[in-house]
Amino acid sequence: MLAVDLVGDTVRAKNGSMVAYEGRMSFKKLTGGGEGLRGMVSRRLTGEQMEMMEVKGQGTCYFADRAGDVNLVTLNGEKLHVESENLLCVDGSLRTGTTFTGLRGAAQGNGLFTTTVEGTGTAALMSDGPAVVLRVTPQYPLQVDPGAYVAHTGNLRQEFQTGVNFRTVIGEGGGEAFQIRFEGDGLVYVQPSERNTIGGDL
Amino acid sequence: MNGPVVHDPHTLPSNDNVDPYTFCVDLSGQWFLQKGKMIAYYGRISFDGIGHGPLDRLVAASFHSPLHAADWVVAQGKGKMLLADRAFDVNSYDLDDGNLTIRSGNLLAFEPSLSLKQSIIPGFVTLLGTGKFVAASNGPVHFVEPPVRVDPQALVGWADCPSPCHHYDHRYLKGFLGGLRSLTGIGGTSGEEHQFDFVGAGTVLLQSTETLMEERDTGAPPPGQPGVPGSGGGPGGGGQLPHLPGGLGGLQRRLGL
Repeated sequence: MLAVDLVGDTVRAKNGSMVAYEGRMSFKKLTGGGEGLRGMVSRRLTGEQMEMMEVKGQGTCYFADRAGDVNLVTLNGEKLHVESENLLCVDGSLRTGTTFTGLRGAAQGNGLFTTTVEGTGTAALMSDGPAVVLRVTPQYPLQVDPGAYVAHTGNLRQEFQTGVNFRTVIGEGGGEAFQIRFEGDGLVYVQPSERNTIGGDL
Repeated sequence: MNGPVVHDPHTLPSNDNVDPYTFCVDLSGQWFLQKGKMIAYYGRISFDGIGHGPLDRLVAASFHSPLHAADWVVAQGKGKMLLADRAFDVNSYDLDDGNLTIRSGNLLAFEPSLSLKQSIIPGFVTLLGTGKFVAASNGPVHFVEPPVRVDPQALVGWADCPSPCHHYDHRYLKGFLGGLRSLTGIGGTSGEEHQFDFVGAGTVLLQSTETLMEERDTGAPPPGQPGVPGSGGGPGGGGQLPHLPGGLGGLQRRLGL
C-alpha cells in the first residue's frame, strides 16, 4: 500500500486504486490519462490503455491494487518505461506517454507499446512480490524473462532473443525460449514472479 | 529518500537469497531447474530441455524421473542467475549425504551433485546425495519432528524419515451418516478427515498455508497397475484427469492436450 501526503499538490493514480484517505481530497477522472488529445489518440491507436485519475487536496491518500507490492522510483529527468498495468501512481509533475517496444511486448502479451514516464518526481510501480533492481552496464548485459519484467530506466537498448528450435516445437524446449536482453546503462526492475506469457511454456 | 537497493553482478549474493522471494545462483557449470523459474540472469547461460542429446550423461547420473522430465531444464554456462516463483518464499537447503522428499512443484532447482528420484508417493520427488537445492513455499517453512500428523496441503516435504502413511478419521469416513456427509457435503465436513501420518526419526517441512502451487498431474502412477497404490482409483483416488491409453500422460501434457 502506498501513502501519499498531499499539501495542495496533485498526483495521478490508476483509476480506482484509492483505498482510503484522510483530509480533503478530490478525485477527477482524467480522460486520456491527462495526456491531452494527442495522447488520447495515440493510446487509442496503440491499445496501451491506461485509466488515470487526478487526486488533489490536503491530507494523506492511500493507494493499493490487488495486494501487490509497491516500488518507488525517483526520476531526475530520466525516462521510465513501464507497462501500464504496473503503474500505480505518479507525481503530478511527471509526463506520461506511449512508446513502441517492439517484439518484447508481443511476447508478454501486452501489446507492442508501453508507457513512458518522464520528468522529475516519484513514480510508484506495482509488482507481484517486491521488485529486484538490477543494474545494467556495457560490460554486463542482462537477460530477463519477459514474464518477470516490470520496468526499466536509463539508456538501455532492448533486444529480443529466442532459443526456439525444433525441440521447442516437439515440447522439449528449454522453458526459457524468449528473453529480453538489455544492453547499455540503466536499471531494470524484475518481479519474483512470472505473468502468463505466450513464451512462458515453451 | 534512499532509493531501493540496486544489484549488479558483483553485489548479487553468491548462492544465496537476494530477498525472501528471490534466490541468486552463482552458476559455473550446470544446474537443474524447473521450467519458467528463471527471472533474469547476467552472463552466458543456455537452457536445454532434459531430452537434449548432449546432456544424456548428466541426466543419466542425476535425473531419474521420466514423469517430471518435461518440467525440468538444465542451465549451463557461467553467470549469475535469479530464480523466483510466484512471489513465494524461496529458500536453499544443503543436503549432506542425506535424503529429502519434496513436493515436485515446490522444488525450483538443484545441483547436479544431487540426484533426483521419483518418490513412491505420487506428486513428490526425492533428492539423494550431497549438494544444494532451492525450494519454494507459500509462507515460511516450519520444521517439525515426528510423530506428527499433517494436512496434505500444508506438507512441503520430509527428510530422513520413513514415508508417511495416510490417516483417516474413521468417525467421518465410516458409517452411513459419515458417508452421506462426505458425499453430499450436507452437515459439513471439517476438511481435516484425511492426514498424513509421520513416524520415526527425521524432520517434516510444513508451509504455513494450504494453498498449493498449481497442481500438475505429474506424480500419478500410470493407471491400472496391480499393487501400485493410487493407480486403481482406491479411496482418495479419483479426480484424476482421464489419460490416453498407453501411459502417454507425459506426452499429453507436453503437447498441451
